[in-house]
Amino acid sequence: MKKNHKGIVLYNEKIAKDTYKIVLKTDMKEAYGGQFISILCENKTLRRPFSIMDFNNGEITVLYKIKGEGTNYIKSLKKDDTVDFIGAMGNTFNYERIKTALLIGAGIGIAPMLFLKKELNKKGIKNFLITGFKEKDEIIEGSDKTVIGGSVVDYIEELNNELKPDIIYSCGPNIVLKLVSEFGIKNNVKTEVSMEKTMACSIGVCRGCVIEYKQNGQTVNKTVCKDGPIFDGDKVIWQI
Amino acid sequence: MANLKTKLGIFELKNPIMTASGTFGYADEFEDFINVSKLGAIVTKAISINPKKGNTGERIFETTAGMINRIGLENVGVKEFIEKKLPVLKEKDINFVMNLAGSAFEDYIEAAKIADKNGIKAIEVNVSCPNVKQGCLEFGTMPGSLSKLTESIRKEYKGFLIIKLTPNVSDIESLALAAQNAGADCISAINTLKGLGVKIEILPDKTFKKSLVQGGLSGRCIKPVALSMVKRIKSVVKIPVIGIGGISNINDVLEFLSVGADCVQIGTENFTHPDVCEKIINDLDKLMNKLNIDNIEELKRKLRE
Repeated sequence: MKKNHKGIVLYNEKIAKDTYKIVLKTDMKEAYGGQFISILCENKTLRRPFSIMDFNNGEITVLYKIKGEGTNYIKSLKKDDTVDFIGAMGNTFNYERIKTALLIGAGIGIAPMLFLKKELNKKGIKNFLITGFKEKDEIIEGSDKTVIGGSVVDYIEELNNELKPDIIYSCGPNIVLKLVSEFGIKNNVKTEVSMEKTMACSIGVCRGCVIEYKQNGQTVNKTVCKDGPIFDGDKVIWQI
Repeated sequence: MANLKTKLGIFELKNPIMTASGTFGYADEFEDFINVSKLGAIVTKAISINPKKGNTGERIFETTAGMINRIGLENVGVKEFIEKKLPVLKEKDINFVMNLAGSAFEDYIEAAKIADKNGIKAIEVNVSCPNVKQGCLEFGTMPGSLSKLTESIRKEYKGFLIIKLTPNVSDIESLALAAQNAGADCISAINTLKGLGVKIEILPDKTFKKSLVQGGLSGRCIKPVALSMVKRIKSVVKIPVIGIGGISNINDVLEFLSVGADCVQIGTENFTHPDVCEKIINDLDKLMNKLNIDNIEELKRKLRE
Protein backbone atom coordinates (compact mmCIF):
# COMPACT_ATOMS: atom_id res chain seq x y z
CA MET A 1 0.00 0.00 0.00
CA LYS A 2 1.41 3.36 -1.01
CA LYS A 3 1.45 5.90 1.78
CA ASN A 4 1.28 9.11 -0.22
CA HIS A 5 -2.25 10.42 -0.40
CA LYS A 6 -4.37 13.33 -1.46
CA GLY A 7 -7.14 14.33 0.93
CA ILE A 8 -10.14 16.55 0.27
CA VAL A 9 -11.03 18.96 3.06
CA LEU A 10 -14.49 18.22 4.43
CA TYR A 11 -14.26 20.43 7.49
CA ASN A 12 -11.68 22.86 8.87
CA GLU A 13 -12.90 24.92 11.81
CA LYS A 14 -11.75 26.43 15.06
CA ILE A 15 -12.80 24.32 18.05
CA ALA A 16 -10.94 26.04 20.89
CA LYS A 17 -8.42 28.82 21.48
CA ASP A 18 -5.80 28.62 18.69
CA THR A 19 -6.97 25.04 18.07
CA TYR A 20 -8.50 23.74 14.87
CA LYS A 21 -9.98 20.51 13.65
CA ILE A 22 -9.57 19.38 10.06
CA VAL A 23 -11.37 16.42 8.50
CA LEU A 24 -10.07 14.94 5.26
CA LYS A 25 -11.73 12.55 2.88
CA THR A 26 -9.03 10.18 1.68
CA ASP A 27 -8.36 6.84 0.04
CA MET A 28 -6.44 5.64 3.08
CA LYS A 29 -7.50 2.13 3.99
CA GLU A 30 -6.43 1.87 7.60
CA ALA A 31 -5.12 3.80 10.55
CA TYR A 32 -4.81 2.97 14.21
CA GLY A 33 -4.62 4.86 17.46
CA GLY A 34 -1.20 6.39 17.98
CA GLN A 35 -0.38 6.82 14.30
CA PHE A 36 0.04 10.17 12.57
CA ILE A 37 -0.11 11.82 9.19
CA SER A 38 2.39 14.35 7.82
CA ILE A 39 0.90 17.21 5.87
CA LEU A 40 2.74 19.07 3.12
CA CYS A 41 2.51 22.81 3.76
CA GLU A 42 2.91 25.38 1.03
CA ASN A 43 6.46 26.74 0.72
CA LYS A 44 7.72 24.59 3.58
CA THR A 45 10.55 22.07 3.26
CA LEU A 46 9.34 19.91 6.11
CA ARG A 47 5.94 18.27 6.41
CA ARG A 48 4.01 18.81 9.63
CA PRO A 49 3.11 15.66 11.59
CA PHE A 50 -0.24 15.39 13.42
CA SER A 51 -1.64 12.57 15.53
CA ILE A 52 -4.78 11.06 14.10
CA MET A 53 -7.80 11.86 16.27
CA ASP A 54 -10.26 9.74 14.35
CA PHE A 55 -10.40 7.51 11.30
CA ASN A 56 -13.62 6.33 9.79
CA ASN A 57 -13.98 4.84 6.30
CA GLY A 58 -11.13 6.88 4.90
CA GLU A 59 -12.14 10.06 6.72
CA ILE A 60 -9.26 11.31 8.85
CA THR A 61 -9.59 13.86 11.63
CA VAL A 62 -6.61 15.67 13.11
CA LEU A 63 -6.32 18.58 15.50
CA TYR A 64 -3.75 21.32 15.14
CA LYS A 65 -2.67 24.31 17.14
CA ILE A 66 -1.54 27.45 15.35
CA LYS A 67 2.23 27.60 15.79
CA GLY A 68 3.61 29.27 12.68
CA GLU A 69 3.61 29.32 8.89
CA GLY A 70 2.86 25.60 8.47
CA THR A 71 -0.21 25.52 10.66
CA ASN A 72 -1.39 28.89 9.31
CA TYR A 73 -1.32 27.35 5.86
CA ILE A 74 -3.46 24.44 7.05
CA LYS A 75 -5.84 26.91 8.68
CA SER A 76 -6.21 28.69 5.31
CA LEU A 77 -7.52 25.55 3.61
CA LYS A 78 -11.16 25.70 2.54
CA LYS A 79 -13.74 22.99 2.10
CA ASP A 80 -12.97 20.90 -1.04
CA ASP A 81 -9.32 22.00 -1.13
CA THR A 82 -6.78 19.23 -1.69
CA VAL A 83 -4.18 18.29 0.91
CA ASP A 84 -1.03 16.32 0.18
CA PHE A 85 -0.15 14.06 3.09
CA ILE A 86 1.63 10.83 3.90
CA GLY A 87 0.32 8.22 6.33
CA ALA A 88 -0.64 6.49 8.33
CA MET A 89 2.86 6.71 9.80
CA GLY A 90 4.37 5.30 12.96
CA ASN A 91 3.46 2.55 15.38
CA THR A 92 0.31 2.11 17.45
CA PHE A 93 -0.79 1.86 21.05
CA ASN A 94 -0.74 -1.70 22.28
CA TYR A 95 -3.78 -3.01 24.20
CA GLU A 96 -3.38 -6.74 23.98
CA ARG A 97 -4.35 -8.42 27.26
CA ILE A 98 -5.42 -5.05 28.74
CA LYS A 99 -8.65 -5.03 30.74
CA THR A 100 -8.61 -1.53 32.22
CA ALA A 101 -6.80 1.55 30.96
CA LEU A 102 -6.23 5.06 32.21
CA LEU A 103 -5.76 7.66 29.49
CA ILE A 104 -4.12 11.00 30.21
CA GLY A 105 -4.06 13.85 27.73
CA ALA A 106 -2.57 17.28 28.21
CA GLY A 107 -3.70 20.07 25.89
CA ILE A 108 -3.81 19.06 22.24
CA GLY A 109 -2.35 15.73 23.38
CA ILE A 110 -5.99 14.71 23.75
CA ALA A 111 -6.09 13.92 20.00
CA PRO A 112 -4.56 10.40 19.94
CA MET A 113 -6.25 9.66 23.29
CA LEU A 114 -9.68 10.14 21.71
CA PHE A 115 -8.82 7.74 18.89
CA LEU A 116 -7.46 5.23 21.37
CA LYS A 117 -10.55 5.58 23.57
CA LYS A 118 -12.74 4.77 20.60
CA GLU A 119 -10.68 1.65 19.88
CA LEU A 120 -10.77 0.54 23.51
CA ASN A 121 -14.54 1.03 23.66
CA LYS A 122 -14.93 -1.09 20.54
CA LYS A 123 -12.87 -3.84 22.15
CA GLY A 124 -14.85 -3.58 25.38
CA ILE A 125 -11.80 -2.49 27.34
CA LYS A 126 -12.73 -0.42 30.37
CA ASN A 127 -11.14 3.01 30.18
CA PHE A 128 -11.12 6.48 31.65
CA LEU A 129 -9.80 9.58 29.90
CA ILE A 130 -8.68 12.58 31.89
CA THR A 131 -7.39 15.67 30.14
CA GLY A 132 -5.94 18.93 31.36
CA PHE A 133 -5.98 22.35 29.76
CA LYS A 134 -4.33 25.60 30.80
CA GLU A 135 -7.45 27.71 30.36
CA LYS A 136 -11.17 27.21 29.95
CA ASP A 137 -11.24 28.44 26.34
CA GLU A 138 -8.66 25.79 25.35
CA ILE A 139 -10.88 22.85 26.31
CA ILE A 140 -11.36 20.15 23.68
CA GLU A 141 -14.38 17.95 24.34
CA GLY A 142 -14.52 14.18 24.65
CA SER A 143 -12.96 13.29 28.01
CA ASP A 144 -14.45 11.57 31.04
CA LYS A 145 -12.92 14.27 33.19
CA THR A 146 -11.51 17.65 32.22
CA VAL A 147 -9.34 19.74 34.49
CA ILE A 148 -8.41 23.37 33.99
CA GLY A 149 -5.20 24.92 35.25
CA GLY A 150 -2.81 23.01 37.46
CA SER A 151 -1.47 19.70 36.28
CA VAL A 152 -3.35 16.67 35.09
CA VAL A 153 -0.59 14.63 36.72
CA ASP A 154 -1.92 15.57 40.16
CA TYR A 155 -4.89 13.29 39.55
CA ILE A 156 -3.02 10.13 38.59
CA GLU A 157 -2.68 8.69 42.05
CA GLU A 158 -6.36 9.02 42.87
CA LEU A 159 -7.47 7.63 39.51
CA ASN A 160 -4.96 4.81 39.71
CA ASN A 161 -6.29 3.76 43.12
CA GLU A 162 -9.86 3.93 41.88
CA LEU A 163 -9.46 2.20 38.52
CA LYS A 164 -6.47 -0.09 39.12
CA PRO A 165 -5.55 0.13 35.41
CA ASP A 166 -3.28 -2.40 33.69
CA ILE A 167 -1.78 0.45 31.71
CA ILE A 168 -1.63 4.23 31.56
CA TYR A 169 -1.50 5.84 28.12
CA SER A 170 -0.49 9.45 27.77
CA CYS A 171 0.10 12.21 25.27
CA GLY A 172 1.17 15.78 25.97
CA PRO A 173 4.28 17.82 26.71
CA ASN A 174 7.40 15.84 27.63
CA ILE A 175 7.23 16.92 31.25
CA VAL A 176 3.77 15.32 31.61
CA LEU A 177 4.92 12.13 29.87
CA LYS A 178 7.97 11.95 32.10
CA LEU A 179 5.89 12.32 35.27
CA VAL A 180 3.39 9.73 34.06
CA SER A 181 6.24 7.32 33.28
CA GLU A 182 7.84 7.88 36.68
CA PHE A 183 4.51 7.26 38.36
CA GLY A 184 4.21 4.03 36.41
CA ILE A 185 7.65 2.82 37.48
CA LYS A 186 7.01 3.70 41.13
CA ASN A 187 3.60 2.04 41.20
CA ASN A 188 4.38 -0.86 38.94
CA VAL A 189 1.92 0.12 36.22
CA LYS A 190 2.85 -0.18 32.56
CA THR A 191 2.87 3.12 30.65
CA GLU A 192 2.82 4.01 26.98
CA VAL A 193 3.56 7.56 25.88
CA SER A 194 3.06 9.32 22.56
CA MET A 195 6.14 11.43 21.83
CA GLU A 196 6.76 14.43 19.63
CA LYS A 197 9.96 15.80 18.09
CA THR A 198 10.84 17.93 15.05
CA MET A 199 10.87 15.56 12.09
CA ALA A 200 12.41 15.94 8.68
CA CYS A 201 11.40 12.81 6.75
CA SER A 202 8.56 11.30 8.89
CA ILE A 203 9.46 7.85 7.57
CA GLY A 204 12.54 6.76 9.52
CA VAL A 205 15.41 7.52 7.15
CA CYS A 206 16.95 10.80 8.26
CA ARG A 207 17.41 10.02 11.98
CA GLY A 208 16.44 13.61 12.75
CA CYS A 209 13.86 12.83 15.44
CA VAL A 210 15.63 10.32 17.64
CA ILE A 211 15.20 9.87 21.38
CA GLU A 212 17.33 7.80 23.72
CA TYR A 213 15.73 4.56 24.83
CA LYS A 214 16.63 1.60 27.00
CA GLN A 215 16.68 -1.71 25.17
CA ASN A 216 18.23 -4.98 26.32
CA GLY A 217 20.32 -3.20 28.94
CA GLN A 218 21.70 -0.73 26.44
CA THR A 219 20.90 2.84 25.45
CA VAL A 220 19.83 3.02 21.83
CA ASN A 221 18.43 5.71 19.55
CA LYS A 222 14.82 5.34 18.44
CA THR A 223 13.14 7.45 15.80
CA VAL A 224 9.91 9.06 16.97
CA CYS A 225 8.52 8.84 13.43
CA LYS A 226 9.07 5.17 12.70
CA ASP A 227 10.00 3.29 15.89
CA GLY A 228 7.44 5.53 17.68
CA PRO A 229 5.66 7.76 18.27
CA ILE A 230 4.40 5.36 20.95
CA PHE A 231 7.04 4.18 23.44
CA ASP A 232 7.07 2.31 26.74
CA GLY A 233 7.30 5.14 29.25
CA ASP A 234 9.68 3.28 31.55
CA LYS A 235 12.27 2.87 28.78
CA VAL A 236 12.44 6.44 27.54
CA ILE A 237 15.53 8.34 28.73
CA TRP A 238 14.14 11.78 29.39
CA GLN A 239 16.22 14.81 28.44
CA ILE A 240 14.31 17.15 30.76
CA MET B 1 10.72 5.73 -24.92
CA ALA B 2 13.88 7.73 -24.67
CA ASN B 3 16.99 5.96 -23.49
CA LEU B 4 17.81 7.38 -20.07
CA LYS B 5 20.78 5.11 -19.50
CA THR B 6 23.67 7.03 -17.99
CA LYS B 7 27.28 5.95 -17.89
CA LEU B 8 29.62 7.30 -15.28
CA GLY B 9 32.78 5.59 -16.44
CA ILE B 10 32.38 1.93 -15.51
CA PHE B 11 29.36 2.61 -13.32
CA GLU B 12 26.12 2.30 -15.25
CA LEU B 13 22.77 3.74 -14.24
CA LYS B 14 19.27 3.23 -15.63
CA ASN B 15 18.86 6.99 -15.60
CA PRO B 16 20.71 10.03 -14.25
CA ILE B 17 18.63 10.29 -11.05
CA MET B 18 20.24 9.18 -7.82
CA THR B 19 19.30 9.83 -4.22
CA ALA B 20 21.71 11.68 -1.94
CA SER B 21 23.26 10.07 1.10
CA GLY B 22 21.37 10.44 4.35
CA THR B 23 18.06 11.25 2.73
CA PHE B 24 17.04 7.79 1.61
CA GLY B 25 18.16 5.47 4.40
CA TYR B 26 18.94 2.09 2.91
CA ALA B 27 16.00 2.38 0.48
CA ASP B 28 13.47 -0.01 2.04
CA GLU B 29 11.57 2.76 3.83
CA PHE B 30 10.79 4.39 0.48
CA GLU B 31 9.01 1.39 -0.93
CA ASP B 32 5.82 2.78 0.59
CA PHE B 33 6.13 5.72 -1.79
CA ILE B 34 7.90 4.80 -5.00
CA ASN B 35 9.24 1.93 -7.03
CA VAL B 36 12.82 2.10 -5.75
CA SER B 37 14.23 -0.17 -8.45
CA LYS B 38 13.37 2.52 -11.04
CA LEU B 39 16.02 4.86 -9.65
CA GLY B 40 19.37 5.36 -11.34
CA ALA B 41 21.01 4.52 -8.04
CA ILE B 42 20.61 5.19 -4.39
CA VAL B 43 23.45 6.37 -2.20
CA THR B 44 23.28 4.77 1.22
CA LYS B 45 23.39 6.65 4.44
CA ALA B 46 27.01 7.34 5.45
CA ILE B 47 28.55 4.19 6.85
CA SER B 48 31.46 4.29 9.28
CA ILE B 49 33.70 1.47 10.37
CA ASN B 50 32.03 1.34 13.80
CA PRO B 51 28.37 2.08 14.53
CA LYS B 52 27.77 5.74 15.42
CA LYS B 53 25.08 7.11 17.70
CA GLY B 54 25.20 10.61 16.27
CA ASN B 55 24.54 13.87 18.09
CA THR B 56 22.30 14.40 21.09
CA GLY B 57 19.78 17.23 21.28
CA GLU B 58 17.84 18.84 18.46
CA ARG B 59 19.05 17.61 15.10
CA ILE B 60 16.76 19.42 12.68
CA PHE B 61 16.06 23.09 12.02
CA GLU B 62 13.86 24.28 9.20
CA THR B 63 15.00 27.37 7.29
CA THR B 64 13.55 29.38 4.44
CA ALA B 65 13.57 26.96 1.49
CA GLY B 66 15.72 24.44 3.28
CA MET B 67 16.83 22.86 6.50
CA ILE B 68 19.84 22.44 8.75
CA ASN B 69 20.73 19.02 10.12
CA ARG B 70 23.21 17.90 12.74
CA ILE B 71 22.50 14.18 12.75
CA GLY B 72 26.17 13.41 13.35
CA LEU B 73 26.35 10.51 10.89
CA GLU B 74 24.36 8.09 13.03
CA ASN B 75 24.63 4.69 11.34
CA VAL B 76 24.71 0.96 11.92
CA GLY B 77 28.39 0.54 11.08
CA VAL B 78 29.96 -1.34 8.20
CA LYS B 79 29.60 -4.82 9.73
CA GLU B 80 25.83 -4.61 10.16
CA PHE B 81 25.50 -2.90 6.79
CA ILE B 82 27.22 -5.82 5.07
CA GLU B 83 25.30 -8.43 7.04
CA LYS B 84 21.81 -6.96 7.08
CA LYS B 85 21.35 -4.16 4.57
CA LEU B 86 23.50 -5.34 1.68
CA PRO B 87 21.59 -8.60 1.10
CA VAL B 88 18.31 -6.65 0.91
CA LEU B 89 19.70 -4.20 -1.64
CA LYS B 90 21.07 -7.07 -3.71
CA GLU B 91 17.89 -9.14 -3.48
CA LYS B 92 15.77 -6.21 -4.64
CA ASP B 93 18.19 -5.44 -7.44
CA ILE B 94 18.65 -1.86 -6.29
CA ASN B 95 21.63 -0.15 -7.87
CA PHE B 96 23.45 1.48 -5.00
CA VAL B 97 26.52 3.41 -3.96
CA MET B 98 27.92 2.87 -0.49
CA ASN B 99 28.69 6.17 1.22
CA LEU B 100 31.69 6.08 3.57
CA ALA B 101 32.50 8.36 6.48
CA GLY B 102 35.37 8.28 8.95
CA SER B 103 37.20 10.22 11.58
CA ALA B 104 40.70 8.98 10.73
CA PHE B 105 42.48 7.83 7.57
CA GLU B 106 42.52 4.27 8.84
CA ASP B 107 38.70 4.22 9.21
CA TYR B 108 38.18 5.04 5.55
CA ILE B 109 40.79 2.60 4.36
CA GLU B 110 39.39 -0.20 6.47
CA ALA B 111 35.86 0.47 5.21
CA ALA B 112 37.08 0.68 1.61
CA LYS B 113 38.79 -2.71 1.98
CA ILE B 114 35.54 -4.23 3.24
CA ALA B 115 33.62 -2.66 0.34
CA ASP B 116 36.14 -4.09 -2.08
CA LYS B 117 36.04 -7.56 -0.51
CA ASN B 118 32.24 -7.60 -0.74
CA GLY B 119 32.21 -6.64 -4.39
CA ILE B 120 30.48 -3.31 -3.89
CA LYS B 121 30.45 -1.67 -7.29
CA ALA B 122 30.67 1.95 -6.22
CA ILE B 123 31.55 3.95 -3.14
CA GLU B 124 31.12 7.62 -2.39
CA VAL B 125 33.52 9.08 0.15
CA ASN B 126 32.22 11.78 2.46
CA VAL B 127 35.29 13.93 3.03
CA SER B 128 33.45 16.53 5.10
CA CYS B 129 34.21 14.65 8.31
CA PRO B 130 36.68 16.11 10.79
CA ASN B 131 40.07 14.39 10.97
CA VAL B 132 40.27 13.87 14.73
CA LYS B 133 43.99 13.12 14.67
CA GLN B 134 44.78 16.39 12.92
CA GLY B 135 43.02 19.12 14.80
CA CYS B 136 39.61 18.09 13.46
CA LEU B 137 40.23 19.81 10.14
CA GLU B 138 37.95 18.28 7.57
CA PHE B 139 39.67 15.87 5.18
CA GLY B 140 38.16 17.61 2.19
CA THR B 141 39.25 21.17 2.92
CA MET B 142 42.97 20.83 2.13
CA PRO B 143 44.20 19.49 -1.22
CA GLY B 144 47.09 17.68 0.46
CA SER B 145 45.01 15.66 2.89
CA LEU B 146 42.29 15.00 0.31
CA SER B 147 44.89 13.74 -2.11
CA LYS B 148 46.44 11.44 0.48
CA LEU B 149 43.04 10.09 1.53
CA THR B 150 41.89 9.48 -2.04
CA GLU B 151 45.15 7.80 -2.94
CA SER B 152 45.03 5.50 0.09
CA ILE B 153 41.45 4.45 -0.64
CA ARG B 154 42.25 3.97 -4.33
CA LYS B 155 44.96 1.45 -3.41
CA GLU B 156 42.48 -0.71 -1.52
CA TYR B 157 39.37 -0.34 -3.64
CA LYS B 158 39.02 -1.45 -7.25
CA GLY B 159 35.44 -0.36 -7.87
CA PHE B 160 34.03 3.01 -8.88
CA LEU B 161 35.38 5.65 -6.51
CA ILE B 162 33.39 8.84 -6.02
CA ILE B 163 34.71 11.67 -3.85
CA LYS B 164 31.96 13.91 -2.46
CA LEU B 165 33.31 17.41 -2.05
CA THR B 166 32.42 19.92 0.61
CA PRO B 167 31.50 23.44 -0.54
CA ASN B 168 32.95 24.97 2.64
CA VAL B 169 36.27 25.79 0.98
CA SER B 170 37.75 28.76 -0.84
CA ASP B 171 39.21 26.95 -3.83
CA ILE B 172 36.99 24.08 -4.98
CA GLU B 173 38.99 23.68 -8.20
CA SER B 174 42.17 22.64 -6.43
CA LEU B 175 40.26 20.07 -4.35
CA ALA B 176 38.53 18.63 -7.39
CA LEU B 177 41.90 18.32 -9.10
CA ALA B 178 43.47 16.76 -6.03
CA ALA B 179 40.77 14.08 -6.00
CA GLN B 180 41.05 13.42 -9.73
CA ASN B 181 44.82 13.26 -9.72
CA ALA B 182 44.86 10.91 -6.74
CA GLY B 183 42.76 8.39 -8.63
CA ALA B 184 39.08 9.24 -8.05
CA ASP B 185 36.74 8.07 -10.81
CA CYS B 186 34.13 10.69 -10.19
CA ILE B 187 33.32 13.75 -8.11
CA SER B 188 30.00 14.49 -6.47
CA ALA B 189 29.22 17.99 -5.26
CA ILE B 190 28.09 19.51 -3.10
CA ASN B 191 27.76 18.31 0.46
CA THR B 192 25.85 20.60 2.87
CA LEU B 193 26.88 24.16 3.59
CA LYS B 194 27.73 25.13 7.13
CA GLY B 195 24.81 26.93 8.68
CA LEU B 196 23.38 28.07 11.98
CA GLY B 197 19.70 28.06 12.85
CA VAL B 198 18.68 30.45 15.61
CA LYS B 199 15.30 30.52 17.28
CA ILE B 200 14.43 33.19 19.79
CA GLU B 201 11.35 32.95 21.96
CA ILE B 202 10.07 35.58 24.34
CA LEU B 203 9.07 33.91 27.60
CA PRO B 204 6.19 34.99 29.86
CA ASP B 205 8.69 36.54 32.29
CA LYS B 206 9.84 38.86 29.46
CA THR B 207 13.22 37.13 29.04
CA PHE B 208 14.58 35.56 25.87
CA LYS B 209 15.07 31.89 25.25
CA LYS B 210 17.55 31.13 22.48
CA SER B 211 17.99 27.76 20.73
CA LEU B 212 20.76 27.13 18.24
CA VAL B 213 21.20 24.35 15.71
CA GLN B 214 24.62 24.40 14.03
CA GLY B 215 24.89 21.98 11.16
CA GLY B 216 24.66 21.40 7.43
CA LEU B 217 22.32 23.49 5.32
CA SER B 218 20.52 21.71 2.48
CA GLY B 219 17.43 22.06 0.35
CA ARG B 220 16.28 24.34 -2.42
CA CYS B 221 18.07 27.39 -1.00
CA ILE B 222 21.53 25.95 -1.78
CA LYS B 223 20.93 25.29 -5.48
CA PRO B 224 22.70 28.41 -6.84
CA VAL B 225 25.78 27.60 -4.73
CA ALA B 226 25.75 24.01 -5.98
CA LEU B 227 25.36 25.04 -9.61
CA SER B 228 28.28 27.40 -9.30
CA MET B 229 30.46 24.74 -7.68
CA VAL B 230 29.58 22.11 -10.29
CA LYS B 231 30.41 24.51 -13.10
CA ARG B 232 33.75 25.40 -11.50
CA ILE B 233 34.63 21.75 -10.88
CA LYS B 234 33.70 20.71 -14.40
CA SER B 235 35.91 23.43 -15.82
CA VAL B 236 39.02 21.75 -14.40
CA VAL B 237 38.39 17.97 -14.24
CA LYS B 238 37.98 15.31 -16.90
CA ILE B 239 36.21 12.71 -14.72
CA PRO B 240 32.39 12.66 -14.42
CA VAL B 241 30.67 15.00 -11.98
CA ILE B 242 27.50 14.30 -10.03
CA GLY B 243 25.53 17.47 -9.23
CA ILE B 244 23.86 17.71 -5.82
CA GLY B 245 22.12 20.58 -4.10
CA GLY B 246 18.54 21.78 -3.94
CA ILE B 247 17.14 19.76 -6.83
CA SER B 248 13.36 19.47 -6.64
CA ASN B 249 12.13 19.13 -10.22
CA ILE B 250 13.13 18.36 -13.78
CA ASN B 251 14.12 21.96 -14.54
CA ASP B 252 16.67 21.82 -11.75
CA VAL B 253 18.06 18.61 -13.26
CA LEU B 254 18.41 20.29 -16.66
CA GLU B 255 20.20 23.22 -15.05
CA PHE B 256 22.77 20.92 -13.47
CA LEU B 257 23.29 18.92 -16.65
CA SER B 258 23.70 22.17 -18.59
CA VAL B 259 26.58 23.39 -16.40
CA GLY B 260 28.48 20.12 -16.55
CA ALA B 261 26.88 17.53 -14.27
CA ASP B 262 26.74 14.03 -15.75
CA CYS B 263 23.98 12.99 -13.42
CA VAL B 264 22.40 14.28 -10.23
CA GLN B 265 21.51 13.31 -6.71
CA ILE B 266 18.32 14.39 -5.00
CA GLY B 267 18.43 14.88 -1.26
CA THR B 268 16.26 17.02 0.97
CA GLU B 269 13.38 17.05 -1.51
CA ASN B 270 12.84 13.36 -0.70
CA PHE B 271 11.58 14.56 2.69
CA THR B 272 9.19 17.10 1.19
CA HIS B 273 8.00 14.84 -1.63
CA PRO B 274 8.98 11.18 -1.06
CA ASP B 275 8.00 10.38 -4.65
CA VAL B 276 10.02 13.19 -6.25
CA CYS B 277 12.68 10.94 -7.83
CA GLU B 278 10.19 8.77 -9.66
CA LYS B 279 8.32 11.85 -10.83
CA ILE B 280 11.50 13.43 -12.19
CA ILE B 281 12.44 10.23 -14.03
CA ASN B 282 8.99 10.14 -15.65
CA ASP B 283 9.16 13.85 -16.51
CA LEU B 284 12.60 13.43 -18.03
CA ASP B 285 11.38 10.59 -20.22
CA LYS B 286 8.38 12.64 -21.36
CA LEU B 287 10.48 15.72 -22.08
CA MET B 288 13.07 13.82 -24.10
CA ASN B 289 10.34 12.16 -26.13
CA LYS B 290 8.70 15.49 -26.79
CA LEU B 291 11.98 17.04 -27.94
CA ASN B 292 13.00 13.93 -29.92
CA ILE B 293 16.13 13.49 -27.87
CA ASP B 294 17.18 9.85 -27.93
CA ASN B 295 19.63 9.59 -25.09
CA ILE B 296 21.22 11.36 -22.14
CA GLU B 297 24.45 12.15 -23.98
CA GLU B 298 22.46 13.96 -26.66
CA LEU B 299 20.47 15.80 -23.99
CA LYS B 300 23.65 16.95 -22.28
CA ARG B 301 25.17 18.05 -25.56
CA LYS B 302 22.13 20.11 -26.51
CA LEU B 303 21.92 21.66 -23.07
CA ARG B 304 25.57 22.69 -23.26
CA GLU B 305 25.51 24.11 -26.78
